[in-house]
Amino acid sequence: MAYTILFGSFTLLMAIGMPIAFCLGIASLATVLYLGLPPIVVFQQLNSGMNVFAMMAIPFFIFAGDLMVRGGIAGRLVRFAAGLVGHLRGGLGQVNIVASTLFGGISGSAVADASAVGGLMIPQMAARGYDRSYAVNVTVNAAIIALMIPPSHNMILYSIAAGGNVSVADLFTAGVVPGILLALALMVTAYVVARRRGYPSEPFPGLANLLVHLVTALPGILLIGIIFGGVRSGIFTATESSCIAVLYAFLVAMLVYRELDWAGFVEAVMGAVRTTAMVLLVIGTAASFAWLMAFLQVQQLMIGAIGAISDNPIIILLVINIILLLLGTFMDMAPMVIISTPVLLPVVKAFGVDPVHFGVVMILNAGIGLNTPPVGTVLFVGCAVGGISIREAMRTIWPFFGASIAVLMLVTYIPALSLWLPSLFR
Amino acid sequence: QQVTLRSADIHPDGYPTVEAVKYMGDLVSQQTSGRIKIQVMNNSVLGSEKDTIEQTRFGVIDLNRVNTAPFNNLVKETVVLGLPFLFRSTDHMHQVVDGPIGDEILKAFEAHGLVGLAFYDSGARSFYTTKKPIEKLADLKGMKIRVQQSDLWIAMMQAFGANPTPMPFGEVYSSLETGVVDGAENNWPSYESSRHFEVAKNFSMTEHSLTPEVLVMSKISWDKLKPEDQAILRKAAKESVVKMRQLWQAREKTSEDKVRAGGVKVISVNKQEFADAMKPVYDKFVTDAKMKDLVARIQAVK
Amino acid sequence: MKNILKAVRPLLALLSRLSLYLAGIGIVTMTLIVGWQVFARYILNDTPSWSEPLSLVLMSWFILLGAAVGVRESGHLGLDIVRYAMPKPIQRAMDITSMALVSAFGGFMAYYGILLARGTWTATIPVLGWPGGVDFFPLIVGGIMIALFGLERLADIILETEHTPSEADMLEVV
Ligand code: NA
Ligand code: NA
Repeated sequence: MAYTILFGSFTLLMAIGMPIAFCLGIASLATVLYLGLPPIVVFQQLNSGMNVFAMMAIPFFIFAGDLMVRGGIAGRLVRFAAGLVGHLRGGLGQVNIVASTLFGGISGSAVADASAVGGLMIPQMAARGYDRSYAVNVTVNAAIIALMIPPSHNMILYSIAAGGNVSVADLFTAGVVPGILLALALMVTAYVVARRRGYPSEPFPGLANLLVHLVTALPGILLIGIIFGGVRSGIFTATESSCIAVLYAFLVAMLVYRELDWAGFVEAVMGAVRTTAMVLLVIGTAASFAWLMAFLQVQQLMIGAIGAISDNPIIILLVINIILLLLGTFMDMAPMVIISTPVLLPVVKAFGVDPVHFGVVMILNAGIGLNTPPVGTVLFVGCAVGGISIREAMRTIWPFFGASIAVLMLVTYIPALSLWLPSLFR
Repeated sequence: QQVTLRSADIHPDGYPTVEAVKYMGDLVSQQTSGRIKIQVMNNSVLGSEKDTIEQTRFGVIDLNRVNTAPFNNLVKETVVLGLPFLFRSTDHMHQVVDGPIGDEILKAFEAHGLVGLAFYDSGARSFYTTKKPIEKLADLKGMKIRVQQSDLWIAMMQAFGANPTPMPFGEVYSSLETGVVDGAENNWPSYESSRHFEVAKNFSMTEHSLTPEVLVMSKISWDKLKPEDQAILRKAAKESVVKMRQLWQAREKTSEDKVRAGGVKVISVNKQEFADAMKPVYDKFVTDAKMKDLVARIQAVK
Repeated sequence: MKNILKAVRPLLALLSRLSLYLAGIGIVTMTLIVGWQVFARYILNDTPSWSEPLSLVLMSWFILLGAAVGVRESGHLGLDIVRYAMPKPIQRAMDITSMALVSAFGGFMAYYGILLARGTWTATIPVLGWPGGVDFFPLIVGGIMIALFGLERLADIILETEHTPSEADMLEVV
């Protein structure tokens, strides 16, 4: 009965359109009242769920991303990407993906990636005769790369949800190869679709111009090295790297590019407040929800249920991927990672799956979920930027989904793709 | 009627504290013909030690097995137990907590909505470092050492001459691995189970603290029980201590063997040199007459 | 009823702006504190022990003030696919239920925040040395504001008055 109240009221409240932070909180409250426990525990857990130092990475990376867009860092990365791959078939599609990968190397947020790269690329692509739906499809799928390539605050979230014993430095490193693989798969898909539709390519700007673009984009590209190198060499922790990203982006925008003024800075600050406060509240109420799941021993139930399906790790992983993809359709990334990690990680660990490997699988799954309706934040942002309906975007998105799922399967069943690179640093 | 008491613990299955409370549950269940049961919810599923202490005080859960360190800011008497080099040996510590002083400290919990039931072992804590081994006190100078977010521990590291770096336990592995910190300190079992020994291979036997763990019960849950059931619980808790100490010794040995086999270099040090540096810590934390008296009485225990 | 709403609206608008700015100052200060923490540890080899607890206090304020503003400014944060499929009167009923529950949750948050603060007052926050209950002040203030802004929105839905203009589209960020 307690399970029914917890999950039933959560689903019902979601259905009437209540903000998810409150769905989680009220479902927890209702269950606690039913169990006769002191309701105070819901708010204690809410508070301590928000009091995690590592969570600071979320507002910081969002803030940094906003500063990068307003301060001209993102624009220069796109221009460099255009010079680099614009001459390939469906050139602007390829540019979009490479720009996303570069931007993903300095930003941890897929939404920031979609709005930054999409905002710059989609209008250009439309002007050059690309279908808007194609432009949006490429943008939103490429945005997922930002989650895989370090930095990634969602990997930090995963590490917290896993009880803190999974190395964030390893998770960061583990995402690199799968992220590049995803980029390559999307580039091939974009190429094939572009060929079939006869999209143009851009002229190659010449080596000299490419070099100029590279030099102007260098401060942005340098940040990739600063974050990755700083975390790997122990100058700062992964959480602290998000703060360094803010300070660095601010300094580059103010002193090097001089494109950020006081008004722009204030807007970036307010943007960070508006976009992240509610997400962090979700993490707080998700902590209450997760506490109740632990109290009701949902984990044990889950291990039993999944164990009953099969004892073959290949099948178990397949089942878990399907569960995660389904969850991803209606859940946003942060609550999904926080709620499902403590439930599923013990299951896969029991079957010998490495927690770092599973982290990459989890993030990729949740990332694909960002583009699946009914709750698909990145898809929604992409559609808003591109000025098309979700229905239009969905009609042509399938080849890109196919590519993402294919990469997901490779990453799931070839642990070395995730674990090889971190092993080099040991 | 049937009562199930829920007990929190941060450690995994098989850890001595977890098994000791389960053992206590068996005793209680036998002696009450199954009327009272104890369900151990370990692995931090109910939250951090700070969280579960609050939950126990508010009557959300019934029992809680925690270190005494997180109580330092609530139950003042527990600060004494964490003082560096206060206990001369594990035997000395056992003499103290098994005797009247132990009961006195357990009693102090009652003013804060808790009933202190028993002290468990937590072994001796020593330093471990990644690059430079600590062979003498001077080696600690300026080293970034991870500590718990606690005034006592920060003061202790400062007195050692180290750079105390407060950090959540979960970030320590990465931080040792990448070099954000140069070292940390803990007992053999935690050094092993956290896998910190994989990345910090110099273990210096400073044995600077023997802080015990404590098992407490919520006053709210306690008052719901009949006096005879309370007596059964108290007795079972004391009996579980014996069991716990056996398990602990075995566990320390296994962990030590495991990390030694993992290539850890164990360094013996002149403990007196380290102990002598601790005067500022005593000056800062043993201030009033009551605390001074407590310390003096502990030191007087043979 | 409508007049009361009209009278308090500017007050609520002011409160919401103030919260937004305070939250903004919060995130900038957090940046400086964490930046200082890295600098002091790596360059000065002297880790400040106050930086982590202090930035956590700021983050709590940042979250709860910002989230309260979010309740006031946002149209629909949740999953609205079911809502759109429903006829108008049912949509209205759903919105009323949703907003009433959000306000109630804010009220509970404030109430239990007070109990938590009282219950932990005798403990001390390590390093900062403040009473343990201070940890729960953001919960109390944020809870009251969520309740207030929720009630404002609820009144707007019931009275079918102009919806509070949202100043920015709230996005659930990932
Ligand atoms: Na990234
Ligand atoms: Na989705």
